[in-house]
Amino acid sequence: MLKYIIKRILIFIPTLIVISLMIFGLSKIAPGDPVELRMSGGLQTGDTGQAADKQQGEKVYFEIAKEMGLDLPTFYIDFKSKAQPDTMYKVGRRYEKEMLGRLCSKYGNWQEVSNYYKSLKALEYSSFNIPKNEQTFEQLKNVRETVNELYREYDDVVINSKLNNIKEAINKDQTFEEIQINENNEADTVTISKNLLAPLKVEIDGVLSNYNSVKQNAKPINRYIPKITWYGLKNQYHRWMFGDKPWFRNSDDPTLISSGFLRGDFGVSLRDGRPVWSVLKEGLIITLKFNLIAIFLIYLIAIPLGVYIAVKKDSLFDRFSTVLLFILYSLPTFWIATMLIVFFTNSEYGMDWFPSFGLGEIPEGASFFESFKISFWHYVLPVLCMTYSGLAFLSRQMRGGVLNVFNQDYIRTARAKGLSEGKIIWKHTFRNSLIPIITLFASILPGMIGGSLIIEYIFSIPGMGNIAFGALLGRNWPVLFTVVMLSSVLTLVGILLSDILYSIVDPRISFTNKA
Amino acid sequence: MTQQREELKEIDQSYGAIVKRQFRKNRPAVWSLRFLYLIVLIGFLADFIANDKPLYCKIDGESYFPIFRDYAVGLGLAKQPPALMKITDWKTVDYDSVIRTPIPYSPATTDYSNAQYVGPFDKQRIQSSRYKHLMGTDDIGRDVLSGMIHGTRIAMLVGLFAMSIASFIGIALGAMSGYYGDDKLKMSRIRIWLNLLFVPFAFFIAFMARKNLVADAFSSSTISGLFQFLWSFVLFAIVMLIPNLIAYPLKRIPFLGKKRSIPIDIIVNRLIEVLRSIPGLLLILAVVASLGASLVYVMLIIGLIGWTGIARFIRAELLKVRSLEYIEAAEALGFSRARIIWRHAIPNSLTPVLIAIAFGIAAAILTESALSFLGIGVPPDTITWGKLLSKGRVAPEAWWLAIFPGFAIFITVTIFNLLGDGLADAIDPRLKQ
Repeated sequence: MLKYIIKRILIFIPTLIVISLMIFGLSKIAPGDPVELRMSGGLQTGDTGQAADKQQGEKVYFEIAKEMGLDLPTFYIDFKSKAQPDTMYKVGRRYEKEMLGRLCSKYGNWQEVSNYYKSLKALEYSSFNIPKNEQTFEQLKNVRETVNELYREYDDVVINSKLNNIKEAINKDQTFEEIQINENNEADTVTISKNLLAPLKVEIDGVLSNYNSVKQNAKPINRYIPKITWYGLKNQYHRWMFGDKPWFRNSDDPTLISSGFLRGDFGVSLRDGRPVWSVLKEGLIITLKFNLIAIFLIYLIAIPLGVYIAVKKDSLFDRFSTVLLFILYSLPTFWIATMLIVFFTNSEYGMDWFPSFGLGEIPEGASFFESFKISFWHYVLPVLCMTYSGLAFLSRQMRGGVLNVFNQDYIRTARAKGLSEGKIIWKHTFRNSLIPIITLFASILPGMIGGSLIIEYIFSIPGMGNIAFGALLGRNWPVLFTVVMLSSVLTLVGILLSDILYSIVDPRISFTNKA
Repeated sequence: MTQQREELKEIDQSYGAIVKRQFRKNRPAVWSLRFLYLIVLIGFLADFIANDKPLYCKIDGESYFPIFRDYAVGLGLAKQPPALMKITDWKTVDYDSVIRTPIPYSPATTDYSNAQYVGPFDKQRIQSSRYKHLMGTDDIGRDVLSGMIHGTRIAMLVGLFAMSIASFIGIALGAMSGYYGDDKLKMSRIRIWLNLLFVPFAFFIAFMARKNLVADAFSSSTISGLFQFLWSFVLFAIVMLIPNLIAYPLKRIPFLGKKRSIPIDIIVNRLIEVLRSIPGLLLILAVVASLGASLVYVMLIIGLIGWTGIARFIRAELLKVRSLEYIEAAEALGFSRARIIWRHAIPNSLTPVLIAIAFGIAAAILTESALSFLGIGVPPDTITWGKLLSKGRVAPEAWWLAIFPGFAIFITVTIFNLLGDGLADAIDPRLKQ
């Protein structure tokens, strides 16, 4: 049996890896640039038109990206077409990556695309060196905005028209009224036209010629040639799972920040930069508390109830409770929760018996009894919602299990021996029908953890599910994916425990040799 | 041969007949089936039951069938006549004669004179009792009953589509793992190697090189996107033909041709465990968050993670079936493995799978409702039961919003659960004892 348990735990590891890969993949395709989401907390610098500000903004961007480990390649290996460069991960913004990726796959020539991109950047930076005044303001704004649009654009027609727009904007002369002293020593206003944007002409010509050479030197066949790149251990997945700090010794290197998922470091929340763990800690405790209470209640009620119904088989009580349990099982939790909220938590229908949301405020220094009284009323409805469905399911299973055992020969033997009915039920039937019920724990658990999300949402309980939901709405990806990952691990552990329990409780079952 | 097949068919039918007879004895299940027909009918005919356009109308001496016309326009067969295009409010049009739908509201029609939650028993400001909101209205005056009827269509669509995907995957994987087990699927070394080598390559050609193309197709229209996506799968299959063709002559070399077994059962079981241990709702939330809100995605995801129950059922069934005499006979006759699985083993194990499918549809409808209740996954302009119910949560005074949509979800889920139960009893009457 020890062999089986060890084998079972070993199987646990690849399952965990697959789950982590799935969740990591999802977190990578989640929309929005995480660094920008993180920066919108107040660090973002507006476009004030100063080169220094722009550079400062870029610097902050890359610092945050580095802090979050986003300057690393995504995975150990990368499998992509030959048209794509190996070093794409070094490009900052997500939309720029998208644009460059599209251009690369269309023209298959990274070198040329890179030149085009660099010349666009150069154009933008040199536009900051042009003095800004009344005459040039509109033109400069036009140029910068169009360049920023070009960072997202990969459609040939649009790029051409935008580049021509820039060119036109640059070539337009400004008119100045200058006061000149003429021959008669009189002040005279003369209108002269001059192009202050002239330095940009070289740049835009460079961009145009680079873009043309992208098109001329296109090698679209590269798109269909696969290429494998090995990036080694310095990658985002490895950092997320294992962290970049060394595992078995201390390190003073301040650039190593993350200790990785396996050591309990889940990254930082995009909204306020707090560690995800500190955001989730209390929520996790609340969710676990609710789930444990619910599971305890389910088993406490369902097991005797199931036995009782099975014993009273074919009676009126059996039929009635079977129908009732079936209905309970089919009732959608969120419907019942909504109905409870609507009818029992406000004065509209005269049944304002329960608090409608939250967990209640426990005053400082309240005695245990007082705080219990306050929380009790807040717990009743949510726990009721979390319990009834599992209760119905388990009672039905218990009834079936007991009935199944009743049909066995050894029960008939026990009856023939003249044992009392009570002894037959509790000593011979109950124990044997309990085995499958214990393991049903595994199939209830994922549903309960997922289901508590909706209940927490409806009753506004600050649990893990509600935090996850808020994170989803606020695009706070690290928090959301940590919740998914944590609850999967919890469920996996639950399944593992129940499997091991099963093999301990029921020695007949041998997992080592499958039929 | 043909005679043999016919005989098999006859046995098959009689098995079905037994199940049918048993099923008919179960009254709740039979009633569920009748109710199911009704619900499917309502979903199918939703446009003709609740619509603000009339079924038939005569305007200025011209006859129109506006709803049929909409269908024709949607299919690209006809154009909208100009007389109808001008109409914005179908209630106030001066008809010569008109036949209206039973409920003269579309789910999205806003009746501003009855906005702000008017209940079924409240005083409603309507022209005649014909226009009564039988189940009240929501905050902007949309008719709840109409939303319920059109929500039926969404629920049925989700259940059907999601479970079709799930059944396909579940039956294929479950049958393979049940029939082959860990040691029965044997392939020559060279074929395994070449296949392993070509999977990434085929994936690259079919999906990665076409990534932008498919994304663009999806953004232009869902149908063309799906077409391109399916085409990727075809391409994948075509590329995967290559290693199998190459392996054919190379198999003759003794070392390369040595048979190795593929532990397909372990692989499928691991996959099931992975999917089972991620809480479904959370996974769907994460996927919807990453891919964006769309009914198609919701159905796809529910289908892609909902096959585990079906796979386990068919696996257990095939474990039983594969040691039966008629399979041995088929093997002795030298039929191919694929033929034995698809023609002999699966048809005989399919009936129990219906149980898993019935429960699966219930679960799919429940999941979709939960998602719309949370306001995720379904675009804002689509009215579903879950969405109506979520309005009941924020407006406690509108009891009709809390009761009716929830009841609809409950009834539908119960019907499928009862059907599943009835099927289970019919297939294995011993359980009923």
